[in-house]
Amino acid sequence: MPTHTLISPSQKRIDTALVHRIGQSLDEMKDDQLNLYLADTVYKERHRLQQEKDPFDDPEKEAIESLARSLLSGKKEMTSAAEHLVRSYSHEIHNRFSERTFGAATKLLPPALNRLLSSSGPSKLLGAGFDAASRIVVQGPVDQIRSLSENHTLVYAPTHLSNLDSPLLGYALHAAGLPPCIYGAGLNLFTNPAMSFFMSRLGAYTVDRRKKHRLYKDVLKAYSTELIGLGAHSLFFPGGTRSRSGLIESSLKRGLLGTAITAWQEGLAENRDKPEIIVVPCTITFSLVLEAETLIEDSLASEGKARYIITDDEFSEPSTVMQYGRRVLNTDSSVIIRFGDPIDLIGNKVDDSGRSMDNHGRSFDRREYVSNRSGELVRDLQRDRMYTNQLAQSLCKAYQQDNVVLPTHLAAMAGWTALKRRYPRLDTYQLVLLSSHERWVDRGETLTILNDLLQQVRKMEEQGRVHTHLPTTADDLLQKAVASFSRFHRNATLEFEDWRILVDPKLALYYSNRLAGYRLALTEKA
Amino acid sequence: MNIGIIGSGAWGKALATLTAKAGHAPRIGFRGTRPSGFPGTPNLRTLTEESELLIIAVPAEGVADAIQQAQPGAGTQVVLATRGLQPQTGHWLSDLVLENTACRRVGSLAGPAMASEVVRGRPTALVIASPFDGVCSATQTALHSEHCRVYTTHDLQGVELAGAMVSVLAVAVGIAHGVDLGVGAKGVIVTRGIAEATRLGTALGANPQTFSGLAGVGDLVSCASHADHPSFSTGVKIARGGSAASRVIEEARSVLSLAERHDVDLPLTQAALAIMTGKLRPKLAFNDLMRREARPEPF
Repeated sequence: MPTHTLISPSQKRIDTALVHRIGQSLDEMKDDQLNLYLADTVYKERHRLQQEKDPFDDPEKEAIESLARSLLSGKKEMTSAAEHLVRSYSHEIHNRFSERTFGAATKLLPPALNRLLSSSGPSKLLGAGFDAASRIVVQGPVDQIRSLSENHTLVYAPTHLSNLDSPLLGYALHAAGLPPCIYGAGLNLFTNPAMSFFMSRLGAYTVDRRKKHRLYKDVLKAYSTELIGLGAHSLFFPGGTRSRSGLIESSLKRGLLGTAITAWQEGLAENRDKPEIIVVPCTITFSLVLEAETLIEDSLASEGKARYIITDDEFSEPSTVMQYGRRVLNTDSSVIIRFGDPIDLIGNKVDDSGRSMDNHGRSFDRREYVSNRSGELVRDLQRDRMYTNQLAQSLCKAYQQDNVVLPTHLAAMAGWTALKRRYPRLDTYQLVLLSSHERWVDRGETLTILNDLLQQVRKMEEQGRVHTHLPTTADDLLQKAVASFSRFHRNATLEFEDWRILVDPKLALYYSNRLAGYRLALTEKA
Repeated sequence: MNIGIIGSGAWGKALATLTAKAGHAPRIGFRGTRPSGFPGTPNLRTLTEESELLIIAVPAEGVADAIQQAQPGAGTQVVLATRGLQPQTGHWLSDLVLENTACRRVGSLAGPAMASEVVRGRPTALVIASPFDGVCSATQTALHSEHCRVYTTHDLQGVELAGAMVSVLAVAVGIAHGVDLGVGAKGVIVTRGIAEATRLGTALGANPQTFSGLAGVGDLVSCASHADHPSFSTGVKIARGGSAASRVIEEARSVLSLAERHDVDLPLTQAALAIMTGKLRPKLAFNDLMRREARPEPF
């Protein structure tokens, strides 16, 4: 297995780079634009700091007030106050990053993962007989990706369902002999002590999603551009946050994704040794999702109340994570991590040597996308945003194709469909509020629906539209799914009761949503 | 600017005339007879490689072949100056470029310009739709002059859909003219037809304002006011017992299939298709439309 190291620039270098990058963009603004831009920071940060009243935020408060005072002065004063804040953000984002601890953690990754999932804190890292290699399945063109990583910087772009995604993906990279990557982890993820210990040693940089103003977002983008430009393989969850509904991402956030195209052009302009960047789509599929109950509750909450940051889910309870590790992850194929075909920054597939190919397999020079007919690079931010949109579309397409259908998804869809048929006049919100004695469906009918779904999914797999990991018959599939569902959630999603099946509508909806994008057609009830 | 135009028919030549009036020296890519008045080449690949902007001005059924021969690459900017959807599949014409080549910078040119009027120097206007500002500005540079105003929009799908629906609606106006329903009825078809296009466009994520612009109302009024316009004259012919060209029938079917997938009701388009395929007599079809339930105008 090759030994990988992670590029880890010094704090000083990062500070200088970020101040330079942000300084350049501030310089390009007119006085009134700059004033408006920084006033947005002052307004949003004052509001946040007032709401949260965190004593540790006092230095930040001072920096914000200093920025507020500068708004009454000239451009020089405003820029200087902004630079002070940029340095502070640079420290906050980069400070957990340590090459030394990263190197050690990479070697300790498999046992560390076992222990993460079986312990309540770093001081209690005890073995639990968890064998990650047989439980977590890694699929896809890993040889090609490994080979590409030697001469290209990789950007992994996975789907996002759980806070466990990043450590599991970290494991998958290690298991497949792929280089590790840096990634942004929300401050809230550090509430679990074991997870915090683990993540801060795995290339995680800190993202404070409470800070919603443009300056902070621009600093994050500058950080990402700088690190990718230096050749650091990176990971973004382009969906932005965990899928609340269980749906596969169909629209993506373009902010961080767009930093790759900037880094690529900077690399070309500066004739760097390794300017080329390749994106690797990736799907992470769980038989059961740790935070399913909280996520679907949040998804069903009225739009205005849905939370972007959730701090009180199952992930924040170490004992629940431990239970999940033992009961769910410790079963065969409970997690399937599938890497998709690598693509360029516009969304075209690449060949083994990293050359871009059109849909007919003809290779071409992708630098033409960003240069004129004389071969000179042409900077055009609007064009690059459109290219990033096209990359996002290609990623969404790849997520559908690389998704792996598991028994729990298909059985949940059958249960949810049977429930809808039993109550044809009720809408989704009424169905999820059914009382417990109303939540049963006929077992035979559910099996018929399941069989119908199974045939369709098999056909889709033959057409290359999806992947599956399913038993042969609908009966076996239902048995397997019901057994899985009984392992973890407070209420089983599906549960046998004689000739009928009890359905938890919220969880059934959540797990069936994984297949919603395929528009499976069901034969109407006779 | 080096501009290549694929298509040596009336519309290709009209666009070449407009680019020349805007101060450029366009070259025409052709098959068969060499066009007069402009330099041309039968080698579409070379034309593409040498053009900063490639305009494709061939009928919808010829676009796939033109693209296959031209092979626009990653550095090419392509503008489709063809109205309609892909024959057989009903997909967007721009998808032919995006799915079969490395080219990503694509636009669609539409509007009320009539080839016969353009070559006579009559004033006109066009709209270029592309998500890429670069394609929009290059097209403006290529075509904008005192003879032709060129407007821009990012709504590529809206403009492509408007083009497809205008073809069908212009046939419907022609039918109304042919059975002598009067000027008022033609006005109703134009406005309610645009309402249908707007409904479908909105469902597809297009900008509803696109349909009241040059590619929608502008193009439809122009097609429906010109006795020699192919769609309008097809409608008149059908009203008088003739048959419709299979292309316009296909177009109507494609639009209706899109509408069905997005659960949008298009009664006028449905009636037009029923008449074109001989399933309903024109007057009967219009009577059915008039008997529909009363409703507020925006819908």
